[in-house]
Amino acid sequence: MGRYIGRRLIQGLVVIFGVTVFVFVVTRLIGDPVKFMLPLSATPEQREARRDAMGLNDPLVQQFGRFLRDLVQGDLGESSYVRGTPALEVVFDYLPRTLQLVAVGMLLAIVLSIPLGVIASRKPGGTTDRVLTTLSLIGLSMPQFFLGYVLMIAFTVRLRWFETGPGGFMNLVLPSICLALPAVGRLAVVVRSAMIDELNSQYVKVAKAKGLTRRRILGVHALRNAGIPYVTLLGWEVIRAIAGYTVVVESVFNWPGLGFMASTAVKNQDFYLIQAIVFVVAVMVVLINIAVDIAYKLLDPRVKLS
Amino acid sequence: MRTRHRLLSALVVLGVVASACGGDDDDTTSTDTPPATEAPTDSGETPTTSPTTSPAIEGASITIALGSEPTSLDPHIVDDGGERAINDNIYETLLARTPDGELIPSLATDLPTLIDDTTWEFTLREGVTFHDGTPFNADAVVATVERMIGLIAAEGTDNAGFYDTLTGATAIDEHTVQITTSGPDGVLPARMYWLKIVTPADAAKDDLSSAPNGTGPYAFVERETGVAIELAAYAGYWGDAPSIADVTYRFVTEGGTRLAGLKSGQYDLITNLPPNDVAQAPQAAAIQGQENPIIILDADDGITADVNVRKALNLALDKQAIADVVYAGYAVPVDGQLLSPSILGHNDDINAYPYDPEQAKQLLEEAGVAGETITLVGESSGRWLNDRELVEAIASYWTEAGLNVDLQTPEFGAYLDVLFDRSNRADAIFVSSSNDLLDPSRQLNTYYSLSGVGSSNSNAELQQLVADGQSSLDADERATIYQEAVQIAYDEAYFAFLVSNQDLYGLSERMEWTPRVDSKLLVKEMSVNG
Amino acid sequence: MSDEYTAQHADEEHATDDEAAIQGRPYEISAARRGGLFGELVRDKLGFASALFLTLLALAALFAPLLAPDDPNRGNLSRSMASPVWNGGSWSNPMGADWQGYDVLSRLLYGARTSLFIGLLVVALAGTFGIIVGVISGYKGGRVDRWLMGWVDVQVSFPGLLLAMLLVALVGGTVWTVAIILAVNGWMVYARMTRGVVLSVRERPFVEAAEMVGSSPLRVITKHVLPNLVTPLATLAVLEFARIILAEAALSFLGLGIQYPGVTWGLDIARAGDHELFGNQWLIIYPGLLLSLTVLAVNLLSSWLRVMLDPQEREKRYAASVTDKAGGM
Repeated sequence: MGRYIGRRLIQGLVVIFGVTVFVFVVTRLIGDPVKFMLPLSATPEQREARRDAMGLNDPLVQQFGRFLRDLVQGDLGESSYVRGTPALEVVFDYLPRTLQLVAVGMLLAIVLSIPLGVIASRKPGGTTDRVLTTLSLIGLSMPQFFLGYVLMIAFTVRLRWFETGPGGFMNLVLPSICLALPAVGRLAVVVRSAMIDELNSQYVKVAKAKGLTRRRILGVHALRNAGIPYVTLLGWEVIRAIAGYTVVVESVFNWPGLGFMASTAVKNQDFYLIQAIVFVVAVMVVLINIAVDIAYKLLDPRVKLS
Repeated sequence: MRTRHRLLSALVVLGVVASACGGDDDDTTSTDTPPATEAPTDSGETPTTSPTTSPAIEGASITIALGSEPTSLDPHIVDDGGERAINDNIYETLLARTPDGELIPSLATDLPTLIDDTTWEFTLREGVTFHDGTPFNADAVVATVERMIGLIAAEGTDNAGFYDTLTGATAIDEHTVQITTSGPDGVLPARMYWLKIVTPADAAKDDLSSAPNGTGPYAFVERETGVAIELAAYAGYWGDAPSIADVTYRFVTEGGTRLAGLKSGQYDLITNLPPNDVAQAPQAAAIQGQENPIIILDADDGITADVNVRKALNLALDKQAIADVVYAGYAVPVDGQLLSPSILGHNDDINAYPYDPEQAKQLLEEAGVAGETITLVGESSGRWLNDRELVEAIASYWTEAGLNVDLQTPEFGAYLDVLFDRSNRADAIFVSSSNDLLDPSRQLNTYYSLSGVGSSNSNAELQQLVADGQSSLDADERATIYQEAVQIAYDEAYFAFLVSNQDLYGLSERMEWTPRVDSKLLVKEMSVNG
Repeated sequence: MSDEYTAQHADEEHATDDEAAIQGRPYEISAARRGGLFGELVRDKLGFASALFLTLLALAALFAPLLAPDDPNRGNLSRSMASPVWNGGSWSNPMGADWQGYDVLSRLLYGARTSLFIGLLVVALAGTFGIIVGVISGYKGGRVDRWLMGWVDVQVSFPGLLLAMLLVALVGGTVWTVAIILAVNGWMVYARMTRGVVLSVRERPFVEAAEMVGSSPLRVITKHVLPNLVTPLATLAVLEFARIILAEAALSFLGLGIQYPGVTWGLDIARAGDHELFGNQWLIIYPGLLLSLTVLAVNLLSSWLRVMLDPQEREKRYAASVTDKAGGM
């Protein structure tokens, strides 16, 4: 197990390095943050001077060398949009709010998807099942930003139950629901099919014949077997949220998290901040992947981690 | 089973912990507390607080929602509306303006006197202190000016364009200071309306973002990045005590979300109220500000080289309809010049080109360009209010007039490339020019003068006039020179003049405030009733 | 285990029970259905409805220039907020016009055009590239295989949306740039799948024999690999199609996707969300609803497809699952 984790960590490092290099090359070759930094009436000479001051006119290799040297010391440069603040610091200022959003959203997804999947599996093909399955499909077909607007129109504009924008827990309700619903759809399907499988298995039929209540059967074995694909998918959902969909949800609801900051950084071509965000996100993705694999092992020792 | 439960409970705990960790970003001030007696929150808890805690002041607490978070709180480094919205209340300048735009004394006791062509003398107010107790005197002014000069030299500020004529400052005595410029500079007083004064100790620091410290009516209390900044009234302020004791700023980029917060009572004042949502706000306030969208026409080359074509492009636009539809009526057609009526040099004799589509079509046919392609460049990131709609509407009008319009709306970065490309000027480039100093010099320099970064003409006479206007030291003389300059640009139709959209603010029921022409949000001018 | 497709289809083994259960019929019967594929489709109401919807949509998109009342980018301020026909408006704007005077119906039709086109384009680009890589990897084996799959593993862990946003911001947003960027971010799953197919095909006795006899790789590929690729590829392509449509919409919504003069539903949702959140909310709902329905239809169709296209696999899996359950506890 230890060797496996070690190998995965190395692979993770390659990923992180790869994506960092990619962003570095792409931003330096194509972009120019100075355009955004100075007011419109600044002269070309002033812009050129600013580029020199930021070291953007040096050869790419030299810039990359500097970057690597700083990276090793934990310095990911200074954000050009949030003036004078180290990029990593900006990331850690905004990250907690995204983590809140993802945590609450995923919790909601788990809490909703398990009962949904279990109920749907009771009578496969029955009305409840079909209704729930269709609802799940709808949930995962709607684009999240549209879902977000629908929620906002209903609950903020019309009903005025929830506020959105930066704030406390109440402002988190709608964005978390928005983040959770598509995941609920996908997760419920997994629970449902695993439960159907279990209920059909010979072992369970024997237990039923013996007279064990359904609840005990479900509780003891079925859920555990559903665990593996469920955890896999859950891990993927978390990754998908952190690495992309929080950007959309945070933009719609104006939740000032890392995704929102990523959108701002990209629009202002703030290289260092973009780099730092991608770096931190890549690290989180790698760690979650490894965590999922470990969870696998815990849930089913028979699973061979290859 | 146990493992599964363990995992689940771990997740639950994680979730709860994560929520709890960030849970203290609830409003530190609530807007539905009675306005009469409200003590400001104690500033002693977090590291990023001001050096002094002001004693409890009687007054109301309000919340203002801005469209963007300041990228820095240093008063000299960035050119950022968000930063100004907050720092205009913390710091002060030698001169200020009335809400209608007239220069008046502030930290200086009077308008400056000219010692010679390049030296201006200011007499400073006595009895003023900074929030940390440092007394305000000539040393502070000198330190501030020198800091700015240093920043410009080191390419460390975005505000070089405002202050590049400053060469130095000298303290004559404790309350008299002289400021020198590189040449005769009629704009100097306006510059001193913009330059925020800091203490000599602060002037030596690299970045003042973490502990803003000024002479203004409000002192910095605390900041939660991404969420809010809080200020509280400063007991030792030299001027009249403001009626608002405590103000919290929140950053809400989406217009719809800002409006929703206004309606629900979360916010007392919001900026950039979308024009078509005015009816939704409990109260709205509008003022003709300094925002001037124009289209720069290439007078040297291509389809727009013919002055009649340029005139046609102006005549083809129904500016009133644009004002009514794109800005829901909260805009006025621009009267043929880039200067707004409140600015020195505005030529009252010029009227907007009328809407005359027939004449436009005719001119285009006579010029032989009917059916030809004209390139119009806008931008797509919504930098200026409704600019995408505006540019698309213009494209429609020019199409009606008989041209084939190639409308391009690149992302802001690519758009800037087009705007600044001196070797290949595009036929028509949209830009919205705002005038921060309320002085004509910089605006005209940029767009009228052939040496400007945003201009598309080669008129040497025009360039000379603009330069003379800046260096003249007599306000009346400057006015005459500028009036002549804008007349030339109008006759030559160097621009397609559009509409000037008003600054729109949304106010809560209890807010009382009149907007200023310079768009500054001065909390000391605000009050609440009931 | 780190890509979306694998995670989403972790329950693949149960697919047969799944789908049969959804239809409410034991799967044994479904194997004996007559009428072939089309017959199956008609009997499956949801699948049929989806296919019908998508066909109509595709036709509408294809014939948009003929069907649309107006140029979707021809604004006219005098027609701002024109009412739809059922509210007393005129037929020149059957579904009304937005605040800039653009005709709603035209924008919906042309939006379909762009969205569907980008979906197909990306699937074609990513699929072609991915299949080629998969074939090379599966065929060459050894070091080439390890390196290629290593590259796949690494790129799969890249945060796709963030990188797409960055690239569009730098390069600009037209149909082709967005398509290429999305393809660059999405070819890996095709490569993995193809490689899997190549490896399993090569293990079959018949194919081993053919290779021993000296058949050229190309012949083996065309005669054996490609036919076996059709089924899994079809399923994958359809799912990817849905994902791409959503991804493009998300990018356009953020302002980092298609821009004027392109017309897509995502862009219109963003514009309307910005402008009409407190106004005519239908302008947000129309494109959003169409987008959701399209993706829903594609998802339903793919579920149906997954089961129907693979009778052999279904039998095999059923057999395997029975023995598993009997033996395993």
